[in-house]
Parts: sequence; structure tokens; C-alpha cells
Amino acid sequence: MLSRKSSEVFIGVAAVAAVTLLAACSSGGPSSSTTTPTTSASASSTASATASASPSSTPVLAGANCSSSATHLTFWAWVPGMSRAVTEFNATHPNICVTLQDPGAGSGEYVPLNNALKAGTGAPDVAEVEFDLLPSYEIQHYLVNLVPYGANTYKSDFAAWAWSQVSQGSGVYAMPSDFGPMGFYYDKATLATYHVTPPTTWSQFATDAIAMHKANSRAYLIDFPANDPQWLMDMMAQAGAWPFSYTGGANLTIDWTGAAQEKFASFWQSLINDHAVASITDLGTEENTDMDTGVLGAAVYSAWAPSYFAPDVKHSMGQWRAAPLPQWSAGASVGSDWGGSTYPVFSESKHPAQAAEFSEWLTATSQSWNIVKTPPSSLFPTFLPTLQSASFKSLTYPISGTSQPNQVFSAGALSIPLTTWPPFMTQVLTQGASTFGGVVNGKETLAQAFATFQGQEVAYAKSQGFNVTT
Amino acid sequence: MSETALRPSAGAVSPSRAPLPRRRSAYARRRGRSGLAFVTPFMIIFTLFMVAPLGYAIYQSLYTTKLIGGTRFSGFANYATVLQSGDFWNGVIRVIIFGGIQIPVMLAIAFFFATIFDLGIAKWGPVFRAVYFIPFAVPIVVSSLMWGFLLDPAYGPFNRFMNVIGFHGFNWLSSNLMLPSIIIIAIWEWTGYNSVILYTALKSVPRDVVEAAILDDTPLWKIILRIKLPLVRPAIVMLVFINTIGAMQLFIEPSILNNYAPGVVTATWTPVIDIYNTSIADGEYQLGAAMAVVLAFVVIAISVASLAFRRRREFR
Repeated sequence: MLSRKSSEVFIGVAAVAAVTLLAACSSGGPSSSTTTPTTSASASSTASATASASPSSTPVLAGANCSSSATHLTFWAWVPGMSRAVTEFNATHPNICVTLQDPGAGSGEYVPLNNALKAGTGAPDVAEVEFDLLPSYEIQHYLVNLVPYGANTYKSDFAAWAWSQVSQGSGVYAMPSDFGPMGFYYDKATLATYHVTPPTTWSQFATDAIAMHKANSRAYLIDFPANDPQWLMDMMAQAGAWPFSYTGGANLTIDWTGAAQEKFASFWQSLINDHAVASITDLGTEENTDMDTGVLGAAVYSAWAPSYFAPDVKHSMGQWRAAPLPQWSAGASVGSDWGGSTYPVFSESKHPAQAAEFSEWLTATSQSWNIVKTPPSSLFPTFLPTLQSASFKSLTYPISGTSQPNQVFSAGALSIPLTTWPPFMTQVLTQGASTFGGVVNGKETLAQAFATFQGQEVAYAKSQGFNVTT
Repeated sequence: MSETALRPSAGAVSPSRAPLPRRRSAYARRRGRSGLAFVTPFMIIFTLFMVAPLGYAIYQSLYTTKLIGGTRFSGFANYATVLQSGDFWNGVIRVIIFGGIQIPVMLAIAFFFATIFDLGIAKWGPVFRAVYFIPFAVPIVVSSLMWGFLLDPAYGPFNRFMNVIGFHGFNWLSSNLMLPSIIIIAIWEWTGYNSVILYTALKSVPRDVVEAAILDDTPLWKIILRIKLPLVRPAIVMLVFINTIGAMQLFIEPSILNNYAPGVVTATWTPVIDIYNTSIADGEYQLGAAMAVVLAFVVIAISVASLAFRRRREFR
């Protein structure tokens, strides 16, 4: 039978194959529809780096009815309730028509975005990109420098940390939107039970954590989710142990094994050895339940994290308070940031001026912030006029009773150490979650994991062509 | 069967065929042409979605893209990386162990159920067949989530049960027990499907063979193991084949269970998880393509080896 196969068939098959090869090069576009409701937190991209998304059409959330003469822009974002801001923009800017699509949180958006950018077609004009991933797009020249479109005029409107994040050299490659200043978030009733007051230093924290677990072997002061590299790195930033330095180009510093990093690792390892901290996945049902039922008395949280926690609160309603982060040296006030998003314009865009106008309106006007600071978006502003407004600081939340947690978080927002991300954070987060998993299981110490990770990161960076300094 | 029934009349016609070679070749040509028409839709789809992507993956695997330096032809450098990667081969060994245990155990259970249904000794046979088939109808993501809750170290009933019977601190999702747990899950998922196929195969065992054995007073276990089992061997071989390919591609269960036991399922735990993370997380698509090609060769090697084994057994 096989010998009868005519040569015509073979040529036909070869021709089809050739066409397919060409077609395969230009495939891309949005292909997933995970609609996990999250704020623009970074947790989504780390939580399940191995999960796959099912292909399906992406729902259009705003921009259905514009005038036909308007310039059309495509916008991808996963912040819930973002369509309200887009509708407002379209209503007040009749010459621009923004269409919002939600391809899904984190990798739900990044995977189709990366495909489209690689293919050179199908990318949106503007999309939500978290701070830590901006350098990954900058290095591949996927982003438009917004300085020619007037971005620098907004510099003084933003928290210093946020503006440094979107800047590289003299360029500004995105507009910052929300972020997550960190704080010590605690259940005042649980802490009172164990006679603990919010610790002001980490050494006081260690004493409290040990005492609390001694008083009740089921209870812990906080969870130490070592397998969340993002949280871990943000904690390292506050400790002056930031492990990367990158300012563009081919030079990169990786240091997970320096003195500051080892000091950080040994501090937490001794608490792990004493079983003074829990070790479960952060921001999940289990941690939320433990926090709600008094198994965990507190969390080192970001400003957006309570919105993850609130839906699971049943017993501890009204008891949650925010305090500044404990300090490494008494009397200092060093904060940190966990997550947050920016809105860059992609170089594929045929209308960069209009796209920049939209991004700047979305992030740098009170008009937009009056919408996105409210639920279900609940974004925590990098935009100072909103961040520092009395009406924002005095907001109350049902899980925090009459207290005003934003007073604490917005104070912490101005004392975040400047950090720079390596231009391959997806690799760092995936490898990190894998490598640090052994710390949670007690199979290795934090210092051992740091050493392993140092080797893995240096090897990866070198394989990508970087000049690595350690 | 039908050919045998038609033989007498066909035999009467056949002598006239020999002196007409030209007409026969015209018939063969026509048959070939209609055959081609039947095969073409499949071939187009097969080429578009199997051959072409495969060719593209092989082409891609010969290049390397670096963040600093761009894309360059790198020959077999990606293959050298894969062949030297301890993580990748550890993953391959893990899925071979997985398949080596899961497939025989599952097939034994599936054959047991198929035999019971075939014998008709179970009341409500069709109902039970449907019930055992249900796990296959549940999406693997859903069943993995469900099993994740059952095996959860903190809240799962299975761990509580182990605690009650004296195994304190037992954890089904610890790094030592993750693979056995996934084997149990995979058996639960696939037994129904395999037993349905075996049941169908058992149903097609000729009645007269079984009746002859019954007349010879052959005991039931001998009928099952010595007559029926050898007669359904082609179905079993096919199932081993399909299940082996599936086992080598283990991905969803460990990916989902990783959320219940962080860090146990590493980024390179199975070859496909490794390929996924290399391509998507590390952005090394070409290296991922090379890994996929190597994995394909491993699967082909195992398949050919099992086919060769079957041949040898059949000629013995």
C-alpha cells in the first residue's frame, strides 16, 4: 500500500507543510480566558507557574460603542472593574476608542502577550505589566519610551519608588499605577490573647513569635512562605539584602550569598528551626483560614493583600489592624513593596501618541483614580494626589472595623528602598518557587537554598549572554 | 467473518480474474483513487497539526536565542544541553517508574472488572460500567483538585485517617509519597476507560471457543486466564501502548497537586513540566523544542521495544 503513494500526494503534503511553517511563525494573540478576580498583585504570576490555560475567545469588557472616526486602541488588563475607567476615558475622549480585553491574571496575560510580541503582530497598544516584569520587556525593545509623549511632566506626581521602577536610563517605559507597600497586618484579638503588641523591631518580632508558639503549639505569629520568591525578595529589600542589580544592558549583578543575604537567611532559619513560624502557601485558602481562626496572629502583608483575605473572613471580622513593618535597626522606618502594576505602550502600536495619552490619563489623573481606588478594583495608588488625600487615608474596611489601615500603608509607601529587577523575572519566580520549596518541607535550610539558587541564577544569566558579577 | 461466508461464491468467480490483468489494474487504480480521497482529509489535518509543528519544532531546536546576543544557529548545542541535563533525565526516570507501576496495576484491575461485566454475574452491570467510567469523564484538572483536597496535609480526610490508625504526621503529598499518590489518582482516573475497552474486546471473543471449553469441563479461571486473556491480548497491547505514551506526558496531576504541597513538585519534576517551564518561564523555546524532540525519541524507543517484545512473544 505504501509503495502506491503517488508523488503528487507527497508534493501536496510538502506544500501544505511549507505553508503551515509560515503560518506557525505568525500565530499568537490572546488565547486564554482565566478570569481569576485579583487586584493587580504579583502573586498571580508566581502562584502556579506550571498551570496551563485553556484556549478560548477573550471577552471584550469595554469600548463596544465608539464613533467610527475615533482612533482604535486595544488594552489588556486583569484588574476587576477596570472597564469603568475605560468607559469614562472613551466618554471624555471622543477621538480615541479604547477596547478593553481581560486575557486573565498574570501568566494568563503574559503568555499570549509574549507570543504576540514575538510574532510582531497581535499585541495590544497598552497592557497591564507588573513592576518586576518591566525590565523583561525593556530588554527586548518591546516598549515605547514615553518621555517624548510628556511622561516626565508627571514624575513629581508619583511615589519615588514607583517612578524609579518605570525609568531606565533617561527613558520612561511605562506609567505606574498601583503598588503594595508592606506592613504588619494583625488580628488585635489574637495578639491580645498572647499578650503580644505589634513588634517594632525584628528581634522583638522573633521573641514574640517564639513566645506565642510556646504558649500554644498550634499557633504562630506569622506564616513564612519561603516558596513565594516575590514575598521573600521584598522582605530582603527591607533588610538591605536585595540580591540583584540591573540597570539595562548586558551587565548584571546576582548576590544571594553575600553577608547581608546570609544574615537575613540565618535570622529566619533560626525561627524555622524553633518552629516559631508557619510554612504554608501565602494568600491561599489555608493561610486565610488560619488567619481567620487565630492559628496565625498576623501576616507580613501588602496594601492590596487584605482584599485577598477579606472574602474568607468569618470569625475575625473587624479585628484586623495594620502596623508598620518591624525594623532591622531600632528607630528606623524602612518599608518595602510587594507587587503592583504599570501600563506600558508597546512598540507594535500604530498609535503610540494616543496610547500614551490613555496610559497617562489612566494612571496620572484624579478622574481615573476616583474610579479605580474603589471596589472591585481597589487599587492602592502610586499617584501621590490620591495616595496622600485625606479621603483615601481615612477609608475603612469591614474586616478592620473603624481603623484606617491606609494611614499605615501610605506612610510606608514613601520609605521603600529602590530595587532593580533582573530582565528575566519569570525564570527567577519559577526557579525560585521550585528551589525554595525544600525550605518549607524542612529538606534544606534557607542559606542552602540561597546558595543553590545563586548557582542556578548565575548559570541561567550566563547562558543568556549576560556579564554576571556576583 | 463475512469474507469466510462469501468464500464459496468468490471461489466460483476467481478463475475468470486471472486472464484479465488490465481490468484488474484499472479496478485497483480506481480503488486507489477513492482510497486517496478517503485518506486526504485525515492527511491534511495530520500534516497541518502534527507533521508541520513537529518539523517546525525540530527546525527551532537548532537555534538559540539569548537576551543578550539575539538568535543564532547553534546546531546540536540544545541537544547537548538536554542530554547532559540531570534534571531532565531524573524526570524521565520518574515517569518511567510511574508508568511501570501504574499501567500494570491499572490493567489488572481493569481486566478484573471487565471480566466480571463480561461474565454477567454482576447485577446492574451497565450501571456499574457507567459508574466506573465516570472518573474518565471528569476533567483531569477537576479530579486533581478534588484529590488535592482529599490528600491535603492539613485538612484532608486521608491524612486524618492515617493519623487515626497510628501513622502520626503522615503526609500523602510529601516528596516521598507524591509519586505513589499520583499513581493512585491515575489508576482511579483511567481504570474505567481501560475496562470498557477490555470489556468490548472480551465481548468479541468468539462464543464457540468458550462453549467448547465449557463442554470440556474447563474451570472458569482457566477460561478467563488461558482462553479469554490471550484472545484479548491485541487490545491489552494497544492499551499498554496508549497508556505508556500518556504516562510519559504526565503533567496535569503534579502541576495541580503542587498547589497543595509547594516545592515537592519541582520545576523539572516530569519531562513535560520541565519542557513547559523551560519554554514559558525561562523563555528558552528552542531548548524546550529540543527537549520535546528528545522526549519523543524516548517514547518511540519504549514503544518500539514493547512492539518488538510483543512480536517475539507471538512467534514463540
